[in-house]
Amino acid sequence: MDKTTIICRCEEISCEEVEEVISNGGRTFDDVKRITRCGMGPCQAKICTSMVAEIIHQQTGLSPSEIPLPRMRMPLSPIKLETLATNSTSFSTVKSVLDEVELEEGKVR
Amino acid sequence: METNYETIVIGGGVVGSGIAYHLSERYKEGVLVLDKKYPMSGTSGSTQAWVWVHNKTPSWYAEFNMYSAELYPYLSKKIGDVEYKRTGGLSPFFNESDREKAQKLAESYRKIGIKIKVLSREEVLEKEPYMNPEVAGATYSSIDGNVNPFRLIDMYMRAAKRNGVQYSTYNKVTEIKKQDGKYSIISDKGAFECKNLILAGGTWSREIGDMLGVKIPVNQLRGQILVSEPLKPFLNFTISGLRQANNGEVLMGYSMEEAGFNRATTLDVIQETANMAVRYVPGLRKAKIVRAFSGIRAMPEDGFPILGKVPGHENLYVAATHSGVTLSPLIGTLITELIVDGETSIPIDRYSLSRFG
Repeated sequence: MDKTTIICRCEEISCEEVEEVISNGGRTFDDVKRITRCGMGPCQAKICTSMVAEIIHQQTGLSPSEIPLPRMRMPLSPIKLETLATNSTSFSTVKSVLDEVELEEGKVR
Repeated sequence: METNYETIVIGGGVVGSGIAYHLSERYKEGVLVLDKKYPMSGTSGSTQAWVWVHNKTPSWYAEFNMYSAELYPYLSKKIGDVEYKRTGGLSPFFNESDREKAQKLAESYRKIGIKIKVLSREEVLEKEPYMNPEVAGATYSSIDGNVNPFRLIDMYMRAAKRNGVQYSTYNKVTEIKKQDGKYSIISDKGAFECKNLILAGGTWSREIGDMLGVKIPVNQLRGQILVSEPLKPFLNFTISGLRQANNGEVLMGYSMEEAGFNRATTLDVIQETANMAVRYVPGLRKAKIVRAFSGIRAMPEDGFPILGKVPGHENLYVAATHSGVTLSPLIGTLITELIVDGETSIPIDRYSLSRFG
């Protein structure tokens, strides 16, 4: 890998950008992700994980077993929003900001 | 590494880094920021990052948020592009019966200088053509917007470092002692000493306070968010519930759960969030979701920020709050004033830790 090698194809993040995060104190894939967007694209870090781990290993000397894996999240592979929706219009955990405005004796608190 | 500092900030998230940066503008003494991991690994890195004012209550709290939102354009000139956009904020409602409440809100906030309009269905659809045509109306204010939280904290850190602030990351504080008028801090990477100590531990504020025998009543409140693939720009405003980022992805979600530090995402809340998103913007139905994530809000017991001097402890300060993204420029400015000038330009007495008795 040289400085211009593309590590994250989805977000076009180069080796140099990943190295900069490590030199500023980042140590994990998720640190690199938040600063550079490496791994935030459609593939969700399926391609770049091991290359980022390799760079972290080279720069910090941490052994691969000490480098945590990125946090994988649902839905793992992109799916349409309508697949997740159930078309219910009753909400409990999800709030409306306006519902949180409380009136006291007909006035806003 | 230097072990003696004038001021140490515990916590390098949006609040701690915001304070460190603002201090570094006016203050040439040594400042060190300690973070148990890397900044953004907690709340500051898992947020929709609205800069939100217009329907926070009560009015004095909305006013406090407004002052901070007003600082954003200036902040981005100083620290660099943080993708701050004052889009204006829309809070839609779907029942005509909510209009009266919306009008009361607008009326009472006009007095403090926050202009809120109550929009008709037609006005909402003119502003935001992709909004569900079944919408009844919305409250609207031009003061609201959003920011890229990763850019914001990265730029705070870079600007602070340029001004001489030091960061020690992956360095958990394990013990704090007060000796000979100084604070002595034991961390994973050694001991540090300082005159002023600022506690900006966010969701971990309670544990940090305990080290000094100070009760900082901050609880955890989880929120779950869905992220879409990048879509062509089609949403104009920050809608309370979803927003479109600069790269085109849409962030959706506004949920609250007491789940401690558990950062799992759960199917029931993901589904409710999807229902909210398609109700607000039906065109999102076919958009692909690439990720769900969750973040833990730092929620003080009564819902309001805890700011300022810690009563009974000389040179000890606390800044613990939710809405850290919205409030960080103001909190950074005020804590800096408190340390450098001894008083703040706007009163913060009502945010004192002393209110919890």
